Amino acid sequence: MKIAGNDILIQSLINEGVEYIFGYPGGAALHIYDAIFNQKEMQHILVRHEQGATHAADGYARATGKPGVVLVTSGPGATNAITGIATAFMDSIPMIVISGQVQSHLIGTDAFQETDMIGVSRPIVKHSFTVDKQENIAQIVAEAFHIATSGRQGPVLIDIPKDLTNPDDLFDFEYPKSVHIRSYNPPVRPENHQVSRAVDAMIASERPVIYAGGGTISSNASEELRELNKILDFPVTNTLMGLGVFPGTDKRFLGMLGMHGTYQANMAMHNADLIIALGARFDDRITNAPDKFAPRAKVIHFDVDHSSVSKIIEADIAVFGQIKDSLQVINNHLKTRKEEIDHEKLIPWHEQINEWRNKHGLNHDLYKNEDDDSPILPQAAVQHIYQESKGKAFVTSDVGQHQMFAAQYYHFDEPRKWINSGGLGTMGFGLPSAMGVKLAYPDEEVICITGEGSIQMCIQELSTCSQYKLPVKIFNINNMALGMVKQWQDMNYDGRHSSISYEDSLPDFVGLVESYGHVGIKITKNSELKDGIAKALSLKDKLVFVDIYVDPEEHVYPMQVANGSLKDLWLGKGEKT
Amino acid sequence: MENKPGALARVVGLFHQRGYNIDSLHVDPIEDFEPFRFIEDELGIKFQVGEVSRLTIRTTVGDRLMRQILRQINKLIEVIAVSDEESTYLKGILRNENLL
Ligand SMILES: Cc1ncc(C[n+]2csc(CCOP(=O)(O)OP(=O)(O)O)c2C)c(N)n1
Ligand SMILES: [Mg+2]
Repeated sequence: MKIAGNDILIQSLINEGVEYIFGYPGGAALHIYDAIFNQKEMQHILVRHEQGATHAADGYARATGKPGVVLVTSGPGATNAITGIATAFMDSIPMIVISGQVQSHLIGTDAFQETDMIGVSRPIVKHSFTVDKQENIAQIVAEAFHIATSGRQGPVLIDIPKDLTNPDDLFDFEYPKSVHIRSYNPPVRPENHQVSRAVDAMIASERPVIYAGGGTISSNASEELRELNKILDFPVTNTLMGLGVFPGTDKRFLGMLGMHGTYQANMAMHNADLIIALGARFDDRITNAPDKFAPRAKVIHFDVDHSSVSKIIEADIAVFGQIKDSLQVINNHLKTRKEEIDHEKLIPWHEQINEWRNKHGLNHDLYKNEDDDSPILPQAAVQHIYQESKGKAFVTSDVGQHQMFAAQYYHFDEPRKWINSGGLGTMGFGLPSAMGVKLAYPDEEVICITGEGSIQMCIQELSTCSQYKLPVKIFNINNMALGMVKQWQDMNYDGRHSSISYEDSLPDFVGLVESYGHVGIKITKNSELKDGIAKALSLKDKLVFVDIYVDPEEHVYPMQVANGSLKDLWLGKGEKT
Repeated sequence: MENKPGALARVVGLFHQRGYNIDSLHVDPIEDFEPFRFIEDELGIKFQVGEVSRLTIRTTVGDRLMRQILRQINKLIEVIAVSDEESTYLKGILRNENLL
């Protein structure tokens, strides 16, 4: 059967099992939209801004592990998608972005809505394709999915000139059964010699720490990590991107590490004799000054991406491959050497860690304060959300203090439940990503913990939530300021608060969400928190926006002292280790 | 690398994006495959005339950064192999630094 380019494109997506495509139409994409109209297998979600489409697809991808798919038109449609593509790229999230392009014969003529999207997106995609003829569409789509979802995952762009989707030109369609790209062959299973060296180091260690990042989640290696921990009984810390890959409530869990990580996680890393890095990339929000990082530690680095290893911190042992496959091999090796593994040897280390935890660990009981004479602490608000949702919700977040409080005080026991923009730190990510999660898991609780600054960056998506009936629960940690920026100004600029407040011009969020047909709840007192949050969660088929006014003076602690080592932390205002 | 539109721009763009300098750059299609037989053998592929290009870039950096540059280039999808005076990186074959 012969079909046209627009149908080839859509049928190819259907062949890949795509259930949702997030997008926004325009001239160069109109033939494609016509093909969408004519099928039933895949649902198009019309967002209110292309940035929302990319974040929604991204949230869908993070929650499910399947690639998110985006469709935008040329020019402004494509450039509006850039922030979301960069967000996915920094966190290695599989995504396919299809951008319409002006007709082939107009390319290079500054035609209406022409942007060199391949050029604009080059540094923020894993790969990109320009479609050159209709006969290649199916092959390109297949390669794009293969690249986006294998190795170190990431966004792949397909730019397609309008004439190549013209419904009048017909071609044979057959979707490729498998894809092989001769110049692309990412490692899967580790080499034997790497494995035995890693196992030797694990068995010899007296002060080990497992440091697991987002790559462990991408590789679906949570079970293997739990098994590794069962065999070795090592303490585990997670990066902001890795939260949930190891149970947040496990006694061996140290909490998050890094800039706003716990005292015990940062101290354990600093004093370790062995760091086992799993799909983590030692970025500057983790290491602080690299030359002062974990001075006595040997480093085993597991990663699928060669270029991540020894980029910032030199690895003593590198294990290349998918984390899942590598850990399976490691676990099997360890089991054959069971009698050499000595849990007793680790007791002093565990005791030391508990001492750190007791000395300066986070206080997880702040929510018990019902005193209305003191302002609501943002930390307590997050703790209430955790309690009322029983720790089971998917939680998306934005960027700022509220994000760090969410990461510190909501304990994730499963991977893919904590959805946030770690690498790029994109304000505006929270609400649209929650939409993507809710579409993927309509029966699960989906919560967005946001700030009054961030939520206004993609607030137009409240309308999309009405259209598709997406009853996400939004908790706005309202400190009436760009709190994280304010904190930096307090700490580094003698409290000169340059351009961080908008107190008098904030909208009445309750009235605003009601105008979209949603429910709004305003909370200003400690005594209202528990019931207000419970009520929001009880309204199952309503989007509820809970506007929680919190103490505007709060800072996020611990916080690494700039250019210090991991043991150099601010523990409170004016209080340092 | 594969002789595909945009491939050269990706390599050059990478240098800028990661803050590496290019002292000189030379690119032409490969016609004599003799020196590259080992790549064909290792990867189990056969090059055809017109399909692949050789790109020579001169840059002045220390060892550690050189290794990082090679690894970043090797990550580009259309790059088949990359080498400096000491090591060669081949797609999917080399899991460690100095295979050759
Ligand atoms: C798109 C974007 N612009 C600017 C920033 C810089 N930035 C980081 S946190 C922050 C403040 C966020 O304010 P809010 O959402 O109210 O969160 P809060 O820190 O008050 O909890 C800003 C401006 C950013 N991360 N993203
Ligand atoms: Mg705020």
